[in-house]
Amino acid sequence: MKELEKNPQSTISSSQVFFIHVCCGLALAAGFWVAHHVYSLNLVFDPTKTLCLIWAIEFPVVILLFSCCRQKPEKCSYFTAIARGLLGLPVGALLNALGALALGAPVGLQYLEKTVNWSLLMSSFTFVPTACVYGSSWTDWHRIFACTKPNGPLEFMLCLPAHGAVIGAWFGAWPMPLDWERPWQDWPICVSYGAIAGYVVGMVGSFGLALIMHAGRKQLKAE
Amino acid sequence: MWGWWRFGKWTVLIMFLHIIAILIFTKGFLLTRTELPHSSHCSDLSQSPCHSSPSSYPCWTKPAVDRLIIIVLDALRFDFVAPSSFFEEKQPWMDKLKVLQRMASENPSSAKIFKAIADPPTTSLQRLKGLTTGALPTFIDVGNSFGAPAIVEDNFINQLIQNGKRVVMMGDDTWTQLFPYHFNKSYPYPSFNVKDLNTVDNGCIEHLLPSLYQQDWDVLIAHFLGVDHAGHIHGVDSTPMIEKLEQYNAVLEKVIKELQNQSGPGKLHENSLLLVMGDHGQTLNGDHGGGSPEEVETSIFAMSFKDLPSLPSEFDSSSCEPSKNICISSIPQLDFAVTVSSLLGVPFPFGSIGRVNPELYALAVCSWNLDDDKTWNNQDQTKLEEWLQNYANVLCINSWQVKRYIDVYSASSVIGFSSEDLFRISDLYSKADENWSYTKNLSSYKNGSSNTSLPLLKRQIVAYSNFLSYVAELARSKWTEFNLKMMGTGIGIMLLSLYCHTLAIKKLNKSYGVSLLSSRDSGVSFGLMLTFFMVLIRAGSLLSNSYILKEGKAANFLLATTGIMTLRYSLMKNKMLIEAAIFLLLTFVFRIAIEVGLYKQAATSQFMGSSSSWMLGISISQSLWTYMAEIVPILALIILGYFLYKSISSCRWGIPKYVIMGTILSYFLIALHWISESNILDLAHFLKGFGKNCIPRTVYAITLVQLSLLAIVPMFSKGETSNCRGNLFVKMMSILSACSSTIIILQGKQGALVALGSLLAGYCMMRLQGIEQHTVSGTAGISILDPLPVFQWSLLAVCLLFASGHWCAFDGLRYGAAFVGFDEFILIPQAILLTIDTFGFSHILSVFGLPLFVAFPSPFNQTKHKSLFPIKLFWIFMVYGLITAITATATILCVTIQRRHLMVWGLFAPKFVFDVVGLILTDFLIFVASVYYFNGVEDHIGNAEFRRL
Repeated sequence: MKELEKNPQSTISSSQVFFIHVCCGLALAAGFWVAHHVYSLNLVFDPTKTLCLIWAIEFPVVILLFSCCRQKPEKCSYFTAIARGLLGLPVGALLNALGALALGAPVGLQYLEKTVNWSLLMSSFTFVPTACVYGSSWTDWHRIFACTKPNGPLEFMLCLPAHGAVIGAWFGAWPMPLDWERPWQDWPICVSYGAIAGYVVGMVGSFGLALIMHAGRKQLKAE
Repeated sequence: MWGWWRFGKWTVLIMFLHIIAILIFTKGFLLTRTELPHSSHCSDLSQSPCHSSPSSYPCWTKPAVDRLIIIVLDALRFDFVAPSSFFEEKQPWMDKLKVLQRMASENPSSAKIFKAIADPPTTSLQRLKGLTTGALPTFIDVGNSFGAPAIVEDNFINQLIQNGKRVVMMGDDTWTQLFPYHFNKSYPYPSFNVKDLNTVDNGCIEHLLPSLYQQDWDVLIAHFLGVDHAGHIHGVDSTPMIEKLEQYNAVLEKVIKELQNQSGPGKLHENSLLLVMGDHGQTLNGDHGGGSPEEVETSIFAMSFKDLPSLPSEFDSSSCEPSKNICISSIPQLDFAVTVSSLLGVPFPFGSIGRVNPELYALAVCSWNLDDDKTWNNQDQTKLEEWLQNYANVLCINSWQVKRYIDVYSASSVIGFSSEDLFRISDLYSKADENWSYTKNLSSYKNGSSNTSLPLLKRQIVAYSNFLSYVAELARSKWTEFNLKMMGTGIGIMLLSLYCHTLAIKKLNKSYGVSLLSSRDSGVSFGLMLTFFMVLIRAGSLLSNSYILKEGKAANFLLATTGIMTLRYSLMKNKMLIEAAIFLLLTFVFRIAIEVGLYKQAATSQFMGSSSSWMLGISISQSLWTYMAEIVPILALIILGYFLYKSISSCRWGIPKYVIMGTILSYFLIALHWISESNILDLAHFLKGFGKNCIPRTVYAITLVQLSLLAIVPMFSKGETSNCRGNLFVKMMSILSACSSTIIILQGKQGALVALGSLLAGYCMMRLQGIEQHTVSGTAGISILDPLPVFQWSLLAVCLLFASGHWCAFDGLRYGAAFVGFDEFILIPQAILLTIDTFGFSHILSVFGLPLFVAFPSPFNQTKHKSLFPIKLFWIFMVYGLITAITATATILCVTIQRRHLMVWGLFAPKFVFDVVGLILTDFLIFVASVYYFNGVEDHIGNAEFRRL
């Protein structure tokens, strides 16, 4: 932790990227494990509680890890970054929920809990990391998410998994209307699976990119 | 006009190709049959070669049965009736109708279980039609009356009425739809509510048993629906299904007991026949409609209440189960009408192509000349000969009637049989007929010498049977089998038309690009790729029945995705955020509307379970809700009128101003109409005298006058076309407003809201178009041709179709719209009104609204070269047409792939019809719109650009 904090620049080493991603992935796995073995819950049979468990385990890990990579650490303490992350969670959840509703997530009181938990999970995938790192810096948000022009491994680390999660969720919605009558076709189960898959793919991609960039920079230095 | 033709030839060519392709494909896929209005009469028999002794029978055949009880159990699977020992494995739903099995095993000569083979489409309506007419109803029977499915062809019920038989009906109200004026007494119960397992059945039971004691009928029909509904809701392997079957068993037991009690000599049912039958089967999921064995195989149980001898073994096709002493034979449903007609002694239905089934016939016939103590098994050759003579005679009449039908059909129908087939039919018939005159003479001269006549008779019967089975085979191949060659040709031409379409667009691109963009960097923009990807997804989604059912939601999903994309771009640009947000909000609103439509659809559709019940959760106090429902549409109308007024306030061009004023007047009238319909205000009394048909008719008249003004006036006035863009805008507004008033009044109150929503969405799209290019190319002022807004527009059109409460099925048509302003049914105006209602927003307004993307000055679309407007406009038309054509082609391909699908008739075929009609309509509207918009434009500007094409 201390080591990470010492690194002030947006350039972080590929081992750090690897560490953060592995931690996030492990937290996700731990969420599933706890749900399954401790509470004997399942995403298919009780999506609300399972999603709740997963995001509750995932988002502290995300906040703690990404707050270490915050920009301008001299101006902004570790706790400020954590507070930004905590604030970012509901805001991001709201945005994700609105997007899901626009795309056709079911409206109604009996779906409210599921939607809320799902969007909190989505928020910890997409919104919280950037909120921890950049806070409310509009130009950085704009560069990463609107223009999709991240530079450096840190920004790729924020951008790729977030986009992966959203695109994965988009694809995950496709089996929903099919008449297979499987329990996992209900909102938001397959969408969550899609989002998680996309998130993992995005993390792998960002790690790969970090490695490539690192190698490129070394080459540049050697020359 | 000359300039227009340089573009217009493409529209004409593509429309022509589409029509040819669709006609050819449809001929191979949607099997059609012409309904003939003729009917058979008793006196017709004198034309046949068959009648040997004219005065012996009152009509064609000697009546063998006095009273007939038909109990139809909807969706009766064969294994519900047949003993479980006939199947490999005993399932829980088998052996529930025990009384039928007991009867069949106790008196095999008077009661028998048949396996009845239905012909697809196995939907109740088509099957009832097939059962009564003895023909093969196709998906579209040409001559079907519009809206009401009443049978116009000659049928067995019709023959009963003509010959003075009294018919009583109870149960499924499909019968009263099919035969509105035929029944002496009827007790119909609504059949559309699939979730209701009991209403129809209880109604039947209530009337069935008392009716058995009454003398005022000759034929009784009781149609039970419970099994069908239980299958649709719970599936075959379920407790409700088994309870239903047990209930039926109890009812049938009572019925049979009553009939047996009264079957003694001189009693009411001395000479009655009981038929318990299914109209079609069902799969284990409870679906039916297709041609799989489970759906096609149903059952007929026939029982007469006399002791009869059994049939000579040559004609007995049954397979027996020795342990239980039950024999089951097979009968095509096609044979039902003619067999029953022959038993009752009425003429055979004119269009019947079935054969009198020997086994079913033998169950009831022969009692009139048979002593009680004698049976054929006692080697009574004379009796056997007499029976055969009689049966041969019936077959002779049967063959003559079928031959007559085939002759008349091929003479009167455009798409009849091929000449080789006809030749073969005549050949078979003349052979059989030649034999017959010989056999007849022989048997009439040498009465009693059975040794010679018996083989002759048998050969005769075989000859007739050959003829009849050949005709049935031919008819099946013509009316129930797809013609893959034609379907393939149709698809080929469709693909060719797509190629032409892209070619035309490429040419337009070239002429546009050459004159403007000297350096086109990539050539493939993100918008193009996204559009391509989305169109591909949409086309692929049509392959699945689930996506077709929820097409509105899928289209809305894609629309919202493009909306989010544009929102992203506007964030990137920091411009137009409000428009992008409003657009997303609108997609949300449309989505809610689509879900309401889906909810309505689920209530009637047999394919959808209970889907969205969230609306029941919303509890708004009733009075407030109705109040809102009355007020909001009128508010929407007022806003629309205000927009129109604003749009012309700066305009000085004469005609459009009058047109738009006329529309505002129409809106006022429509609002008045709605107020008079509602009961909130007391205005209703005030307006009652005005007549409820007056206002709609006035609105129609205003629209007609507006349209003719718009069509005629520009031809004479080569007027002030100073500002091309402004002119285009005024033209667009005037035609849109002219069309909108009629569409809104037809759509009812939702129409105004949908119109307002689409206006807003169109405005947002127009403002947002080109936002992506701008950022990508980075050079302001140049607008590359971007297909994304056009694709959005076409998706919006699809959403509008569903949001306004339609769906792609024939029960999705809003028949009520056809009667706005009319009370009685007149075919042509009603058909036109229904078309306008169905395609109003999604096709008519969408195509005429396409100039939106060039008519307004968009901040991202500041093209300085005015001469390029016509090209861009035409390009938009072509791209819109291409997207529609791709979707329709995808539907055609999917229908071809899924032609053996369970829901091909219930879901894919209606979708196909909707898409194909929509495509041709779109082509036609694009043609009309291009004539309308380009008239007078090209004379002034852009001649140089036109030359280049």
